[in-house]
Amino acid sequence: MDEIVAEYIRRTVLRIPRSEMGRMLTTWGVFSENQLQSINLHQIKDKLSQEVVQLCEENGATIKHAANLDIIYNYTYRDKKVWTVYKMTKEDGDENVVFNWVDFKNRFKASLRLLLKNVTITFKKFEDNSMWIRIAWGTQFKKPNQYKPTYVVYHSQTPYVFISHSIFKNCRVLLFQALLAAANYSDIHEMDLRSRCLDSLKDIVFKRYNQNVETFNPQPLQERNSTLENVDPRIIQEDKNKKETIRKINEEDFGNGSLPKLQYAQYKLETVFKSKPEMGILNDKEPFRCLVTFSSPHLLEALKSLAPAGLATAPLSRLLTCIVPEAKNSFKITEKKSGFSHGLPDQ
Amino acid sequence: MERAPTEDTASGRKTMGHGTNFISTAHLSRGRISLKRGNLFGHTPAKRRILQTPRMQENADARIGFLLRKQLTLYSVTPLYRFSYDRLQEYSRQLCFVIAAEKQKGLAIHVEGDLKLKVKFSSLSVLKTSEKGQAGVLIQVTAENAGPKVVWIGCFCCTCGDDILETVMEDFTCFPLFLVNGAESLSAIIGTWLQQTFDCSFSLLTISPLNLAWMAAMWTGYKIEHHKRAMELTFSVPGTSQPLDISYAIHAEDAKALWDSIHTTQQEVRQEQVNLFMDGLCYHFYRHFKIYLSATRLVKVSTSVACVHSDGKIKILHSAYLMEILALMTELAISQIL
Repeated sequence: MDEIVAEYIRRTVLRIPRSEMGRMLTTWGVFSENQLQSINLHQIKDKLSQEVVQLCEENGATIKHAANLDIIYNYTYRDKKVWTVYKMTKEDGDENVVFNWVDFKNRFKASLRLLLKNVTITFKKFEDNSMWIRIAWGTQFKKPNQYKPTYVVYHSQTPYVFISHSIFKNCRVLLFQALLAAANYSDIHEMDLRSRCLDSLKDIVFKRYNQNVETFNPQPLQERNSTLENVDPRIIQEDKNKKETIRKINEEDFGNGSLPKLQYAQYKLETVFKSKPEMGILNDKEPFRCLVTFSSPHLLEALKSLAPAGLATAPLSRLLTCIVPEAKNSFKITEKKSGFSHGLPDQ
Repeated sequence: MERAPTEDTASGRKTMGHGTNFISTAHLSRGRISLKRGNLFGHTPAKRRILQTPRMQENADARIGFLLRKQLTLYSVTPLYRFSYDRLQEYSRQLCFVIAAEKQKGLAIHVEGDLKLKVKFSSLSVLKTSEKGQAGVLIQVTAENAGPKVVWIGCFCCTCGDDILETVMEDFTCFPLFLVNGAESLSAIIGTWLQQTFDCSFSLLTISPLNLAWMAAMWTGYKIEHHKRAMELTFSVPGTSQPLDISYAIHAEDAKALWDSIHTTQQEVRQEQVNLFMDGLCYHFYRHFKIYLSATRLVKVSTSVACVHSDGKIKILHSAYLMEILALMTELAISQIL
């Protein structure tokens, strides 16, 4: 067995947490039942990794197998990466071809290998119907670098592609060509939508997030230990009404189910600077260039709680509520007569 | 820097290192200072003079370069008892022994490998701003057998703190501000030694949102030719179901245009101008996002000259305004120890 392959397997095994080790090695499918039984999962990791490599040696494992284990690991820990969504488009009049995975794989490999010999391409299909493609890039004179691969996730018959890892520009072009050829599309562009949570990105672009809306219907929270005897009941009622209004407005914007997980939203503002006239300061300066970034471990949940916490007006600005419907979390805002524009054709 | 177990929670101060925390005000006459500065109870003043600091001498850059582009932690320090510029060599030797002893105990130091550490105290006359002013003191810890490489620096200064110098009693030396960069384990040992040797007390210099707003406004007004960066304000939003931070970065030129339209007084910056600057920016933000930034907490300010975080960390990016920045930090440190 190649030394590079052995070392790569060893390092991949070291990354796998002990609790997942048994399951991942079984899923990997390189070892027989007996071999799996023989591996001592409780010894120190370093020894364990050597034992795995030893068994691979016996079974004659190749870089394909090694790449497969890496995909299994990254599929399980997909939230450790940042995923960017791309959308492919067809030109009018393009015929719809019946899709099958064998053709897809062949066309993908052929397209990429046409221009780059030194490249490792590995496919793996998962139960959620996603196809994972791992590409390790080399150059004309260099073997593929297995430690900095690109991961591409694709669902058949959809125009969306999820790509992780910043890759070299020229490789990116090759990758796009291969994807277009394989999936039979004519163009591809970035959607300005990024997150660590791959599943949430899928929820957003496949418009699956709305399905949750009706399933969970919380009752308004009851005030606990409320001793409000001294307060005018009309005030209490007014306060309740206000809270209820905010809740309703919020529900219209965000639904009441669980929200997709995004880590940031970014707005490049090139709008007019307007101040209140009584301030008597800089006014109507255009453009006033700003970059505003909202960041949170769960951005949409945080935004949803702004109005109820009294930190924002309800309804919330359309700039914040349009993230999910427009499947974007990176915007450029310019001034338009009718208000702010996202620079989208349909605005 | 390691937070001491003996935290003085009443005053919200964190002492440096373990051990002593004698916040004694005996050596300062509170009344005189307050009257002079028009700064009762250590509040932020309603206006600040724009400093006319002498430009630093030629090649000063090389001598203060160690303070630039490094994350420095800020401490306020009560006056040092029986400190003498004539005994810097002696201090170097003593502290060197202390560090070696701690290392032998194997407790606190996690400096990689078997480094041979050398300590050097030196006087920093570059930081002297006036005749009466006093030179800063630099403490450098160098790993001899690794380069030599500086692994820790600490710098005492009293930039433009002449007012306070006049009020300090005999036998005391006042360095209200201490800047530190380096391993926390070393900071803890050195901090403890300094506090014990000079009977002083260190506390982390946290910076209030109000003072951060001052920095945002004043620093935006500084003229910088090269390496302009956007003026970035970072707000932490309280009370949301998930933590939320808002970064609001304004193009350097546009931020300056706004400040210039507000800052019409030549010699000073006024509180109401700072307020107007922030209100204007918050209003512009509200117009887009319908979020009240005034209800959130300003935690960080980055400009072309420096970045400061409310938890007492600063990175100075430009030597041109170093004195102004140190003077402001010294002023904040003084108001914290009063």
